[in-house]
Amino acid sequence: MQPTPKQAAEAIGINKSISRNVGDQLIRLVLFLAASVSVVTTIAVVYSLSAETISFFLDPAVSLWEFLTDRRWTPLFGESQRYFGISPLIIGTLNVTFVALVVGIPLGLGSAIYLSEFATARTRRTIMPLLEILAGIPTVVLGYFALFFVTPILRDIIPGLNLFNPISAGLVMGFMILPTISSISVDSMQAVPRAIREAAYGLGASRVEVVLKVVVPAALSGIVASFILAMSRAIGETMIVALAAGAKPTFTFDLRETIATMTSFIVQAAKGDQPAGSIGSRALYAVGSTLFLLTLMLNIASNQIVRRYAERYE
Amino acid sequence: MSVSILSDAERKRIEGKRRRGKAFVAVTAVPVVLALLLVATLFFDVITDTVSWQIVEPSQTTASWSFSEGFAWGNTWENVVTKELEARGEDPAAVLNNPEERRRFKLRNRVELLWSLNGQPLRYVVSNSRDDTVDNIGVFEGFNNQEALLANLRDGQELRLNPWLDFAFLSKNASRSPLMAGIGFAFIGSLWVIGLVILFSLPIGVGAAIYLEEYAPDNRFTRFIELNIRNLAGVPSIVYGILGLYAFVRLFNFEVTVISAALTLSLLILPVVIIASREAIKAVPPSLREASYGLGASKWQTVSRVVLPNAVAGITTGMILAVARAIGETAPLLVVGAAGFIPRAPSGPLSEYTVMPIQIYAWVGENDPEFANVASAGIVVLLTVLLVLFGAAFYLRRRFERSW
Repeated sequence: MQPTPKQAAEAIGINKSISRNVGDQLIRLVLFLAASVSVVTTIAVVYSLSAETISFFLDPAVSLWEFLTDRRWTPLFGESQRYFGISPLIIGTLNVTFVALVVGIPLGLGSAIYLSEFATARTRRTIMPLLEILAGIPTVVLGYFALFFVTPILRDIIPGLNLFNPISAGLVMGFMILPTISSISVDSMQAVPRAIREAAYGLGASRVEVVLKVVVPAALSGIVASFILAMSRAIGETMIVALAAGAKPTFTFDLRETIATMTSFIVQAAKGDQPAGSIGSRALYAVGSTLFLLTLMLNIASNQIVRRYAERYE
Repeated sequence: MSVSILSDAERKRIEGKRRRGKAFVAVTAVPVVLALLLVATLFFDVITDTVSWQIVEPSQTTASWSFSEGFAWGNTWENVVTKELEARGEDPAAVLNNPEERRRFKLRNRVELLWSLNGQPLRYVVSNSRDDTVDNIGVFEGFNNQEALLANLRDGQELRLNPWLDFAFLSKNASRSPLMAGIGFAFIGSLWVIGLVILFSLPIGVGAAIYLEEYAPDNRFTRFIELNIRNLAGVPSIVYGILGLYAFVRLFNFEVTVISAALTLSLLILPVVIIASREAIKAVPPSLREASYGLGASKWQTVSRVVLPNAVAGITTGMILAVARAIGETAPLLVVGAAGFIPRAPSGPLSEYTVMPIQIYAWVGENDPEFANVASAGIVVLLTVLLVLFGAAFYLRRRFERSW
């Protein structure tokens, strides 16, 4: 019988040193603990959110039914005027996210098609880092830009636009999510093999036909995943909304109105220094849980789409 | 003339198709141009906002010193103050060397680079800190209406061009008056927080990456860890703030200190650090490891002396980008209670703090419109730091990019 490498090593006296073995085991353990930090983090996130959220719903002033159906959200008000319906925050979040996606999806997909299919390698190498800079601009800076530059221009164009509004915030957020959509879509379009494109050209297809009827459909899973991921980022984005869209929970689909999103409410509640254990503080955790669940579902969906529908090429 | 096998109609059809193709390429290029235009507009807007015109009523006669007289790297402030005190007939050394006198002088006077239109050109002005600002006018608006503005000045009023971002801005601290506000404490706070973030997240992040790439068996728990990291990377940053509020601020009772901010941000960037480090480690070819084992090296010897040295450039690049993200992060720190105004500079892990993005957010929220100019000056400082970091990451990536 052939000796295994380990047996062979022992036979010629390598790896005999016990202390070295113990040292290696110790290092392995330390590294394992480092990797476990992420698991502990997840548990801590889920625990901290759920503990306070459960206390929130156990409070006699709150009912799950009210949380889901009431159209007023005023947990930081005095006792007699408190209402705990989360729908205004959800609607507000959707308003901003809608504008962001309307801006971000066409721009992101368009730029991805250009960068992957039409740009020369040199252009791509120059532009990609610049898009990374756009992705790296702190969102508080984007919020400043939305509030002081974009909003005044929009208010000249759109009559009745409030100073704080989801259009301005969503517009800037659309550019914020552009690099996310663009880079993931470029990756999945680049993964479409050359042979397929060449086959299409060989059948007499034009460049536009190759892009729209061959490359984009073949890369669709990655492209759709990038849209979902971008949506998740838009929902979780805080500073642009907190600065430019306001913090007034309103149940409205009128994009000119000041609204509040889930994230801007969390900021507002945290800034107000709600004492630990108060209903205002617990409302913060309840909204945080809703936000966490929503973004988690979107992220999982995005991962699943990539895994299940990705075209495999040999 | 060549004979075409195509009929006129066919040629026309192909021509049209080609034209439409060109138009399509142009259309897809538009978003790229728009994105770059937005970045350019943003930088332009922020930079021009750091300058504004001000109509002020100086409440005492003020001295001023030309740019070249006052200009000296590092000790501009001392330089100008010395000249000012000499002119007032006081002993500069007595004021500058006595901490109490120095503080009093700082409270009552401000030293700034200004341009007075009906006075002298660009120069350092020492003036009363309670100068009444009558009006604050945007830089372009001021240029367009300059004559009218000058004509309408009353007696004792001055039209000044104020560059808000000057050397004094870097050393001044939070203040209720926009003229006296600067980014000093916030800059120091950012250094403290980021220093600790690196201390926490670098060893844990790289350790986790080494484990997952080199040690981890292919089993359910490993896949669970990997799934976890992927999901954590997608959690909105504000949720980390909620975790920090619950765990670090309240449960561990660190309250609103540098350490609770640093721990929160460390958890936030950990997935990014791990993913980037894994990529870098993965890029080291297996043949190097095999050669090391062949020479009789143990696993850890191979990892520490062969794999890590070859992955260090990639790990550093990833770390720089993660740190750049942590520097600009605002939302989680707002939730863990960071404030815009602190009485003294952060001096350790357990001291009160503010950081640059929080300071900028606090300024944007002020009622006084001049704080918008102060905020833009802060943004320019923040963006400069980030651009340096991006530049370093970009350079490292280019410099050490190699194919095996």
